[in-house]
Amino acid sequence: MTAVLEVRDLTIGHGGVPLLAGIGFDVARGEVVAVLGGSGCGKSTLLRTLIGLQEPLAGSVHFPGIGGPEQAMSPPQFGVLFQSAALFGSWTLLQNVMLPLQKWTLLPKDAARAVAMARLRLVGLEAAADKLPSEVSGGMRKRAGIARALALDPPILFLDEPSAGLDPVTAAGLDQLILTLARGLSVTVVLVTHELPSILAVADRCVMLDRQAGGVIALGAPRELATHSDDPRVRAFFRREAASRTT
Amino acid sequence: MSSPGFRLTASGGAGDRVVELAGVVTLAGGAQLWRELRDAVAATDTARIDLAGVERLDGGGAALLYAVRDERVGRGRGCELAGATGDVARVLELYGSPPQPEPAPPPRPHALLADVGDVAHDLWRSWQAVFAFLGDLCWALARAVRQPRSVHLGEFGSLVERAGTDGLPIIMLINFLVGAILGLQGAIQLHRFGGDQFLASLVGLSVVRELGPLMTAILVTGRSGAAFAAELGTMKVNEEIDALRTLGQDPQRFLVLPRVLVLVLVLPVLTVVGDFLGTLGGMAIAVGYLQQPAVVYVQMFELWVDMLDFGTGLMKSVVFGAAIALVACQRGLAARGGAEGVGRSTTAAVVAVLFTLVALDAAFTWIFSLLDW
Repeated sequence: MTAVLEVRDLTIGHGGVPLLAGIGFDVARGEVVAVLGGSGCGKSTLLRTLIGLQEPLAGSVHFPGIGGPEQAMSPPQFGVLFQSAALFGSWTLLQNVMLPLQKWTLLPKDAARAVAMARLRLVGLEAAADKLPSEVSGGMRKRAGIARALALDPPILFLDEPSAGLDPVTAAGLDQLILTLARGLSVTVVLVTHELPSILAVADRCVMLDRQAGGVIALGAPRELATHSDDPRVRAFFRREAASRTT
Repeated sequence: MSSPGFRLTASGGAGDRVVELAGVVTLAGGAQLWRELRDAVAATDTARIDLAGVERLDGGGAALLYAVRDERVGRGRGCELAGATGDVARVLELYGSPPQPEPAPPPRPHALLADVGDVAHDLWRSWQAVFAFLGDLCWALARAVRQPRSVHLGEFGSLVERAGTDGLPIIMLINFLVGAILGLQGAIQLHRFGGDQFLASLVGLSVVRELGPLMTAILVTGRSGAAFAAELGTMKVNEEIDALRTLGQDPQRFLVLPRVLVLVLVLPVLTVVGDFLGTLGGMAIAVGYLQQPAVVYVQMFELWVDMLDFGTGLMKSVVFGAAIALVACQRGLAARGGAEGVGRSTTAAVVAVLFTLVALDAAFTWIFSLLDW
């Protein structure tokens, strides 16, 4: 399997103070990898480092064959969904999705509009295209954020807490969308989350972080980790899901 | 420019045309695909776009193929996408859309009468909002008088610092310069008629009664009024105002009343400082340009400017302070629609406050002239 993302011996932190160290993993094309861990363990900091918004303290992040975040003059090679969706509040959903198309392609306006509408249709938001972000629900904002992240057909999607704060039905719909993108379009998805149902539903592999251990404590398929891991921290994390299902 | 990656071959006549697409059909070559494909199928009754030779299709390419098809179908002409297999068919299926037989009707042109009606309606709604705001504030004031502790005074000190102390240097500088400019203009004219000694009364009365309060209020509008509107507008669009309500806090008492109180207290103090510096600016011209002893300027100032003149200026500044805070807070709390909405409400607040200040100043001047003050 060809890796499209290589993380090697990465140290991340704030203001020169390491938060996590020795992080290393590969992500293959079309794979869904969940970065998980408790609140405040450094998941979002790792994501910001992977997408180039934050400098690593040590180590490297490579995107073999597709360039990387440092290529500022070329179209971005990955799409990003931020935790808050980060849609531009005074623009409609359609305008939000059209923005990268107008910036990075030579498409005339009607063609860019058609492509943006197709992205919104893919995430089930065609009817809400002319609405402002403040006029739609949190789940719709997240889906619009995914449509915007998909605008340029990036080979990799980074999703920060896509289903956080959503009801189970909406969250399941988002999980289904992520699977559709990965299986149908061979998009590689790196998912930062601590939502266990989502992890079990979509992730091929998990990278589990722990603040106290200061790095990665588990790497593998979620169901394997849930049932066969020897690490009590990993078992505790997954057991919480089992407890919540019985209630 | 890089190669688009696809090959397009058209065959057949105007009645029935087959367009064969081959190679890589992606968003990267989208602009060329859009142009060439639309040209190829433009003047035909029915068109078949054969995708058998397509090796790779991405979402953007699929979206463009469907857009070309839908455009033709919308015009009542036949078009089909055919021959896709494997991954290409799967992407096509993911992005699939039902053909759209009816093009969307063009938007109705605006009629002048309708536009006038819309503007009048918007004006009426905004006045309604202002009156509702004033009503709420009166109610909040009444409750605050009954329960003084219910007014949130936690940030009173920092508000006084931001609106007052921080603004002092610019207020001193501008008022000094205004006094000096007025003094210079007056000195040139008065000197022609040998009336140098009247410069103190000209500058003194103008500054103390009109320019001091007005200039200070305008500066406070630019600093504190805009800040209040932006601050409250941001809180509104971030749902912090709603959160306050759900916590049982009245935004009027929690946010608006402290700001009104601060400006009602701070603006007269700033005005006194402004008056002093404005008068000093005039004196600088009297001494420097007219070679008049400073003591003469001070004596003439004392002779012509009395406490009633100061009183009228301070009375104005109290009302100006309340007006700045009220209008700015009302506009801020009326913000809607994200960052742009906050920008709009801040601009609207500054414009509305400036208009209100000038209108109030004119009203005061008229009333004082009737009262012979």
